[in-house]
Amino acid sequence: MSQAIVEIKDVTFSRGEKTIYKNMSFSVPKGKITAIMGPSGIGKTTMLRLIGGQLKPDSGDILFEGKSIPSMTRAALYDARKNMSMLFQSGALFTDMSVFDNIAFPLREHTTLNEELIRLVVLMKLQAVGLRGARDLMPSELSGGMARRVALARAIALDPELIMYDEPFAGQDPISMGVLVKLIKSLNEVLGLSSLIVTHDVTEVLSIAEHVIIIAEQGVIGSGTAQEMLAHRSPLVQQFLQGLSDGPVPFHQPANPYEQELLSGGAV
Amino acid sequence: MNTRKIEILVGLFVALGVLAFAVLALKVANSGISGSGETYTLNAKFENIGSLKARAPIKVGGVVIGRVEGISIHPQEFVPVVNMTIDANYECQFSDTTSVSILTSGILGEQYLGISPVIASESARQSCFGYEVAHDDASDELEDLFGVESKALRNGDLITDTKSALVLEELIGQFLFNQGSE
Amino acid sequence: MINFFQKLGHKTLSRFASLGRSTSMLFGALVNMPNIRKGTPLLIRQLYMIGHQSLLIIMVSGLFIGMVLALQGYTVLVGYGAEDSLGPLVALSLLRELGPVVTALLFAGRAGSALTAEIGLMKATEQLSSLEMMAIDPLKRVIAPRFWAGFISMPLLALIFSAVAILGAHLVGVDWLGVDSGSFWSIMQAQVSFEKDILNGIIKSFVFALVVTWIALYKGYDCIPTSEGISKATTETVVHSSLAVLGFDFLLTAVMFSG
Repeated sequence: MSQAIVEIKDVTFSRGEKTIYKNMSFSVPKGKITAIMGPSGIGKTTMLRLIGGQLKPDSGDILFEGKSIPSMTRAALYDARKNMSMLFQSGALFTDMSVFDNIAFPLREHTTLNEELIRLVVLMKLQAVGLRGARDLMPSELSGGMARRVALARAIALDPELIMYDEPFAGQDPISMGVLVKLIKSLNEVLGLSSLIVTHDVTEVLSIAEHVIIIAEQGVIGSGTAQEMLAHRSPLVQQFLQGLSDGPVPFHQPANPYEQELLSGGAV
Repeated sequence: MNTRKIEILVGLFVALGVLAFAVLALKVANSGISGSGETYTLNAKFENIGSLKARAPIKVGGVVIGRVEGISIHPQEFVPVVNMTIDANYECQFSDTTSVSILTSGILGEQYLGISPVIASESARQSCFGYEVAHDDASDELEDLFGVESKALRNGDLITDTKSALVLEELIGQFLFNQGSE
Repeated sequence: MINFFQKLGHKTLSRFASLGRSTSMLFGALVNMPNIRKGTPLLIRQLYMIGHQSLLIIMVSGLFIGMVLALQGYTVLVGYGAEDSLGPLVALSLLRELGPVVTALLFAGRAGSALTAEIGLMKATEQLSSLEMMAIDPLKRVIAPRFWAGFISMPLLALIFSAVAILGAHLVGVDWLGVDSGSFWSIMQAQVSFEKDILNGIIKSFVFALVVTWIALYKGYDCIPTSEGISKATTETVVHSSLAVLGFDFLLTAVMFSG
C-alpha cells in the first residue's frame, strides 16, 4: 500500500453520553478510491466531519497529508481545507446562485483568476460532469442527480487532493447512480486525486472501490480490497455485505422482553 | 436580478432614508435656535414660575430668541431662578433694566418667557463688548438723572425686573378680597 | 423538589450557554471584517433584501398610523380647543416611540423571520457546512453582511416611517379636518427638539436594529436543521425580538426621557 493521505490514529469520539468511536484507527491510501461502509447510524458522516476539522475528537489524532487536523490553528485548518473538498448528501448548492456561479464561487473566493479564466475553468468542470448545457439553471430547477453532479463539479473546481463523498448514491435512480459511479471512477483516474466514499450501497461501491473499510460497533471491523472483504471470515462483515436482516447486528432494537412488555399493560 | 438594478434600488432606499432624516431635522424639529448658532445665558429670579418648563421658548414681541435651559431654587433666598439661553446675536443689546415676565399662550397653552427689552445705550453696549468707553455728556446726564449707570446684559447676568406667572387661585383670592372690601 | 431545582439549574445553564454561543457568533462575524472588495457586493445585496424589500410595508404602515393618530388625537384635542397641538402630539409620539418601536416590530416580522428561515434552511441543506469545507467562514460570508445590512437598514426605515407618518397626519389633520397648516408645523417645530427627540429616536432604532438582527441571525444559525426546527426558530425570532424590543424600549425611554 502506498502512502496514506488521511490517517486516523486511535480516535475516540462521543456525542453527549453516546460513544460513537472507540480507539479507532485506519488510513486512507493516496490516489485510490476508498470506501467506508457500515450500517446506518454508526456515524459515517461524523467521520468525514472529523477529517474536515468541523468536529474534534475526544482523543487520538487525525493526520491529513501528515499534518494533524485537530491541533491546527484556525488559519492552518482553512488552508488545509483548500486541499480537500466534500460532496454533501444533499449537494448543498447555494440556492441563490446559478449553476455557473456555484462552480465559480470557490474560484472567485480563493483565486485571483480573472472572469475570462474563471469562465474557462467552470466550463471545463461542467464538461467533465456532462452538464455544460445546464450552466444557467438555478439549483431549484435541477433534478437530484443533476444537483449532485453540479456539486461534484464544484468540489473539483479547485483541483483538491482529496474528495470526500457523503452518501453519493443515496436516493438516486439506477441511471443517475450509474453516471455517478462512472464519474467518481473517471475523475479519480484523470485528476489523480484520492477519493473517500462513505456509503451503504454495497454493490455500487464494491465495483469501484480499491480499498474498503467497514465500520461497526464503534470501530473498524474489517479492511482490505473488495475481494478480501467478500471473503472475510467475520460474520458481521458478511451480514453487512450480503444484507441479511438478522445476525450479529440484531434486527431488534435493545428492549425489554417482548412478553413482559405486552403483558404489563403499558405500566412500564 | 442583476447587480446594477439592485445597486440602484439600494441607492434609492438609502437616499429615501437620508431624505426622511432631512425632513425630520429641518421641517419637524426646531433646528433654528437649539441646534446651531452660539448662545449666551442669562438668569432671572421669580417669585413664582407657575408651570414654566425647561425648553419653553423665550420671546421678544412674539419672536423666539432663546429657550429656558433649566429652573432651580436660589440656595439662600428660596425663590426660583430660571436659566435662559439666548441667541448670541442679542448679547449686549438689552439694558439691565429689561423686564421678563411669564406669559401664557392662549388659555390652556404652554407658558413662555416674554422679554420686554429696554435697548442698551451706546456706551453701555461698548463697555459690555469690552471696548474703552468714551464718556460723552449725554450719557453722563442720563446717569445723573437715574443715579445709577445702566449696563448692557451679558453672559451670566441676572435680570431683576421680573413678573411672575399668574396663578389662578391667587387671582381669584385677590378678586374676592377686593369684592369684600368694597 | 430536587427535580424542580435540577430543572431550574438546567434551564439557567442552557440560557447562559446560548447567550454565550450567540455572543461568540456575533463576535466571529464582526471581528476580522471581510475585505471591502468582496464584502461590499454582499452587503449591497443584503441591503436590498432586508432594507429595500421592507420599504413598502414600512411606508404603508407609517402612512396609516400617522392618519389614525391624527384622527384620534384631533377628536380628543378639539374638546379642549387645543387642536393646534395636533402637530406636536403626532410628531413627538412618532419620533420618540412609535417610529422606532413599530418599525422594529414590523422589521422583526418582515425581515427577521426571513433571515432566520433563510439561514436555517442554509444550515439544513448543508450550505453552511459546505462553505466551511470550502475554507470560507460562514460567519463572515453569511452572517456578517446580513448583520450590517439589518443594522443600517432599520434606522433608515424608522426615519422613513416617522416622516411618512407625519405626512399622513398632515393629510388627515390639515387637509381633511381643517387644522391650520401654519400652526401644525410651527407648534410642532417649537415643541420638537432635534437632539432630544430625533437623535434619541435614532439611537433607539440602532439599539433595536442590533437586538432584532442579532436574535434573527442567531436563531437561524443555532436552529435544529429540520423543518420543525426551522419553523420553531422562525416563531421564536418574532416572539423574542418583539419582546426584547418592548423591554429595551422601556429601559431606553426611562433613561432618555425621564430626566
